[in-house]
Amino acid sequence: MLKRHFLKAAVSAALLIGTAFSAHAADDALARIKAAGVMKVGTETAFAPFDFIDAGEHTGLNVDFFAELGKDLGVKIEWVELPWDGVFPALEAGKFDFVAGPATITKARLERFKMTAPIAEATVAILKKAGDTSITKPEDIAGKAVGSGKATSQFAQLQEYSATLPTKVTAREYVSFNDAYADLAAGRIVAVANSLPNIAFVAKQRKGAFEVVTPAFGKKSYFGFIGKKDADSASLVDYVNSEVIKMKKDGRLAKMQEKWFGTTFDTPDEVKEPTF
Amino acid sequence: MTFKIFTLLLQAAVSTIGISLVSIAIGFVIAILLSAANLSGKAIYSAPARVFVSFFRGVPLLVQLLLIYTLLPAIGLNVPSIVAAIVGLSLCTAAYQAENLRGGFASVPKGLIEAAEVTGLSPRQTFFRIRVPIALRLTLPALVNEAIMILKSSSLVSVVGIIELTKMAQDLASSTYLPIPIFLSAGLIYLVICSVIALIGRYAERRLARTSI
Repeated sequence: MLKRHFLKAAVSAALLIGTAFSAHAADDALARIKAAGVMKVGTETAFAPFDFIDAGEHTGLNVDFFAELGKDLGVKIEWVELPWDGVFPALEAGKFDFVAGPATITKARLERFKMTAPIAEATVAILKKAGDTSITKPEDIAGKAVGSGKATSQFAQLQEYSATLPTKVTAREYVSFNDAYADLAAGRIVAVANSLPNIAFVAKQRKGAFEVVTPAFGKKSYFGFIGKKDADSASLVDYVNSEVIKMKKDGRLAKMQEKWFGTTFDTPDEVKEPTF
Repeated sequence: MTFKIFTLLLQAAVSTIGISLVSIAIGFVIAILLSAANLSGKAIYSAPARVFVSFFRGVPLLVQLLLIYTLLPAIGLNVPSIVAAIVGLSLCTAAYQAENLRGGFASVPKGLIEAAEVTGLSPRQTFFRIRVPIALRLTLPALVNEAIMILKSSSLVSVVGIIELTKMAQDLASSTYLPIPIFLSAGLIYLVICSVIALIGRYAERRLARTSI
């Protein structure tokens, strides 16, 4: 019995040493991925319709996109699922090669990370309970409790917007947007601030429960995938970026948008100057 | 659909059980080593053991897991999620098990140890053949308690990317919008697993009681 425990300890020790050495085998991130035949992608699975779990199956636009990318590159995609506030620290710690997310392309993020060409629009709007007549336009949330996701740019935009209103909103942070939707359904908050593609999907999924309030209150913004800024990751970021542009040109991206959002977005090839 | 959800929960429960059992076992081995260090009476062994216990008992498990997952790569040890989870749980439970065992070791009658020495047993033999079995028997209820605690704490390892019972329940609840039946089922599964551990503990206690000190 004791022997087996030691064996287990020995195996984990071997794993530790093995991974430590393999990190220095090839010359850069892209070359290592090709050599290993596996690309590790970190993500959060509570961001429908980009990334979510449907009855136990990991699915969404991210899964479709990276499956296509894996086919083009000839590698397998391995997903690492973390809470959103843990995703960026883990990317910097080298736990995976790329982040799916996606994340809104913002000035702050571009300072620290490299982001790909947009894959969808990310402009933030309000989701309310169906039939709530007290909220008919974005500024009606003044003075009310509104939820959003922790460590998200949507939350930052909600706070920015709140500051322009006559009375501030009570902004509540949730570990994931799913928890915020649950609290909206339970009546603990009156609205959720999230990007249009996300809340349009949720409103469609739960017809009769939620409604989107138009117009969007946020500035026009876009979603992209995220890579590291160092020289080691440069060729990998360029590659993923070229894949986004390629799939945009050959219509694969539009097909995915149609599938997951029921509409397509007109996105630029590059976001040089994010609006915030 | 309902059947599929339940199967998925059970699959996730298997990884909860696997991770917890492996961690409890590794933690137990480390706890015995820590006890040996403490009983050696030499500061060079006992001081590091005390620092180990105070660190892993004094830092929240959640923080330990995040540290192991994101700090180790900084020194070149990029461990996969499953290793980070097992290492975190093992080190944490080792600290608690060592403290539990300390009480047991303190209660081993002095006369027995002296008798063992007189009969010519080496300190090492005295430790493994006399002190450990007696300390184990005395601390078994506390160790079973600790095993149950670790099983429940394993719900934290989803922060390093492991899908275990709690995370699976959260994922299923948010995709099916059926939080109540899903969290109830997850709670029941935890209860069943913990009851089984408690039963095994009670059985072991009864077996050991037959051979009294």
